[in-house]
Amino acid sequence: MTGLSFDPLLPWALVGAVAVLSTLVAVWSLWRGLRGWLWRGLAGLAAAAALSGPALQSGIRNALSDIVILLDDRSASQSLPGRAAQTDAALNGLTRQLSALPDTEIRRVTVGDDPDGTLLGTALTKALAAEPQTRIAGVIALTDGLAHDASQIPANAPAPVHVLLTGTPADWDRRLVIEEAPAYGLIGQPVTIRLRIEDQGAVPPEAASAPARLHVLLDGEESRVLDLPPGVPLDLPVVPEHAGQNVVSIGFDAPGGAVPELTDRNNSAALQIQGVHDRLRVLLISGEPHAGERTWRNLLKSDANVDLIHFTILRPPDKLDAVPVDEMSLIAFPTHELFMERIRDFDLIIFDRDRVRGILTPQYYDNIRRYVEEGGAVLVSAGPEMSSVESLNLSPMGAIIPGRPTGRVYDQPFLPQLTDQGRRHPVTAGLTGAPEPGRADHWGRWLRMSQVIPDPRAQVVMTGANDEPLLILNRVGKGRVALLTSDQVWLWGRGFEGGGPQLELLRRIAHWSMKEPELEEESLLADVSGEVVTITRRTMKPEAPPLRITHPDGKVETLDLAEAGPGRFSARWTAPGPGLYRMTDGEISRVLALGPAAPREFEETVASGTRLQPLVEATRGAVLHLSDGIPMLRTLREGRPAHGQGVSGDWIGITPRGAASVSGMTHRPLLPAWAWLALIAALALIGWLAEGRGWRRGA
Amino acid sequence: MILMACIWAATARAQDDPDPRLVRAADEVALAYVVTGDAEVDRASEAGLRGLSQVLTQRTTIEPGAPLGIDLDRDDLSLLTFLYWPVTEAQPSPTPQAYVRLNHFLKSGGVILFDTRDGDIAGLGGPDGSAALQRLAAPLDIPQLAPIPADHVLTRSFYLLHDFPGRYQGREVWAEAPRAGAEAAEGVPFRNLNDGVSPVIIGGNSWAEAWAVDDNGLPIYSMGAGFEAEEGREMAYRFGVNLIMYVLTGNYKSDQVHVPALLERLRSEEVLR
Repeated sequence: MTGLSFDPLLPWALVGAVAVLSTLVAVWSLWRGLRGWLWRGLAGLAAAAALSGPALQSGIRNALSDIVILLDDRSASQSLPGRAAQTDAALNGLTRQLSALPDTEIRRVTVGDDPDGTLLGTALTKALAAEPQTRIAGVIALTDGLAHDASQIPANAPAPVHVLLTGTPADWDRRLVIEEAPAYGLIGQPVTIRLRIEDQGAVPPEAASAPARLHVLLDGEESRVLDLPPGVPLDLPVVPEHAGQNVVSIGFDAPGGAVPELTDRNNSAALQIQGVHDRLRVLLISGEPHAGERTWRNLLKSDANVDLIHFTILRPPDKLDAVPVDEMSLIAFPTHELFMERIRDFDLIIFDRDRVRGILTPQYYDNIRRYVEEGGAVLVSAGPEMSSVESLNLSPMGAIIPGRPTGRVYDQPFLPQLTDQGRRHPVTAGLTGAPEPGRADHWGRWLRMSQVIPDPRAQVVMTGANDEPLLILNRVGKGRVALLTSDQVWLWGRGFEGGGPQLELLRRIAHWSMKEPELEEESLLADVSGEVVTITRRTMKPEAPPLRITHPDGKVETLDLAEAGPGRFSARWTAPGPGLYRMTDGEISRVLALGPAAPREFEETVASGTRLQPLVEATRGAVLHLSDGIPMLRTLREGRPAHGQGVSGDWIGITPRGAASVSGMTHRPLLPAWAWLALIAALALIGWLAEGRGWRRGA
Repeated sequence: MILMACIWAATARAQDDPDPRLVRAADEVALAYVVTGDAEVDRASEAGLRGLSQVLTQRTTIEPGAPLGIDLDRDDLSLLTFLYWPVTEAQPSPTPQAYVRLNHFLKSGGVILFDTRDGDIAGLGGPDGSAALQRLAAPLDIPQLAPIPADHVLTRSFYLLHDFPGRYQGREVWAEAPRAGAEAAEGVPFRNLNDGVSPVIIGGNSWAEAWAVDDNGLPIYSMGAGFEAEEGREMAYRFGVNLIMYVLTGNYKSDQVHVPALLERLRSEEVLR
């Protein structure tokens, strides 16, 4: 930073003119043969130089220290056994060696977990960008090399980049790879999960040939066990059994052998498949056209997800008129097809004021009973015919109807009321307009109902005249039956005395009988948002026992639920980490899959430097295994290979950059003014003497 | 708390019990007619609905109770499903409160059959043919009307019909206009109307007179002579049966064309499985 600068006393043109003039004088003197021409010319030029004010300029330099970036990876994959200790030991050793070097600073960068995995490349790029490029003497990364942002790894660096890998060369791991899993599936129809077992690293030969024993659990229940050799893709059919979340957990036993695999955390996966109903098929049998029939049609036809097959008995077999058949628009009831062949295709059969008329034979009714016991649903909306000799209760189906008619029909206005059970039951809980003590506005009355003796196992959720059961719900075998002992729910729709929530009530009854999860009276719901889980337990019991939550690592936690309304108990709970949690209160249990069961960190676990290799090569650094020992540190000149083998093992090099900063500037005239004067005078004097005789005489 | 319960119980008891006639109508699906004040017309309405009720009871599963006359200014319509409204010139307009009830009745699924009873006078008829009908129906929320098309579900809700005769014949009968674009939907042979039933049916064929029977079950009003009269009366009853079926079952018959297709789909899914 030293140089010559000029600070002319006169404009440059004048200085130039002096120089030219003195040169011309010197040339003229030469032509005239004057002996002092050189000295006179030089004197003139010296005067011009003095006029230009030459000065010496120099900067004040401060030497700067070198920076070595020391990066340690503390992501979850680095928590595998031994790796943290390896990292700590290397960190200590290198820090000691680096602090022994003169003028060397250490910049520590720690990479943690990110939802997207280990963001090693991003961390490197940021660390390099934060430091002056001229001072970086080296980068040393202590990692397993499993960067999940390979595209972010810088292409080059101003100094050697060294990667010191954790783990050992004998590391190997077996993991479960889910290649394809559907998020939705139709209930009862198989969906396909494609998976394979993958081996990584130095697989011991005895393990490589051994198949993995795969366990498939559906909602926490073991459903299949199968052996799968590594590398073979498997299409696993799974049948969602119910609406809502079906949790499929797939896992295999850790392979045995002398060298155990690195981790079993990637040996299992939990998938959630949302079970959805195919279009619901509802068979509506109206025993006679009546004022409430269109209520059912409005309900079922307004639901785009329902295929309604409706039959109304327009003319009973015992009534005939003389009108020719071709002038009538009546079709025969395809009874055999509906009640024998196709009955299992229906999700719900509604009997709307139906009576035994000889159209359906006893064996059909018996088949309906069997259909319910095998998981079907029947809803009986009964008018006064229920109390007659044509009652459905007197058919073989009567065995499953949850109320036995006494024969009495109440022909009087009555206000439907919710029972205590009804206030808790999802079918009737929270219905708008329900009469409550102290509230004057409530839904309208109905005018007729049949008296029944309810089945002791059934739930009476609504009562009518004289507190007799009005709406009775029951489970029969795997199926459900609902009984409405009045046919006058349509009065609510008509707005009689203000009406009531008729469509909502009928919709809930219908969907409860079709086992919609939201209407289950005993249910355990978990609503996940981030790590916070809102747990809601619906129950018909007065209190809910505390919930036992089994963590993925087997730890058991107990969670108390607080009452949040009639029949509703809830709690908020924060999951400590991702994984498969099992919740149970002894009666109802639920499997909850939080986050991916094997997070990205554990997709690959065997340490590998391949992703960082291009950067390392570009900077002439090295990828070394810490299992071979902590390398020695050397200082090198830039551009030399930065690693090699020494007597005591591997060494890696850093390149001191000798960077400096300029903190100021000095400006010194080349010669003081008197010296210039003396110089010019001396040159002029020499010229004069040379031309004068004295010189010659002297010579 | 006890006091509150007592008050509540008292208010509950204070609620008026509904008119027993209307309760019976709700229980028995009784047919109802509007009392016009004209004794002759009202007697015809009563006898007509009685005759139709008898035919329904004889031939179908519908067994209506005895018909009842409705005073629009007083009676609660929410217990009724079907209202026969003969239009007379002298009939006073119902009160605004009655129109509120009528509009609610139409909106919640009730059906009114307006009968201008002037089908014998050529050149009149239709929803705008009668000044009295216009006066009575103007405050009602009636949708756009159109003559009942040949593929309407009324033509097949029990009997197969081509026209809708009463005591007079051949006049157009009007109902809610089908929605634009509803024609030939899904390739069904006739229109798949929305399940909303037309809230009003308007005609002038004097149906009650055709249906009317006296206490002995004999027709009251003459419809010509001989076999033709019997034939005409039979067709009038068939329209009445179809009408009540339509009122109670809605577009049920219109949907039944889908049933074979649905069953076919079940069958084909069986094969696929």
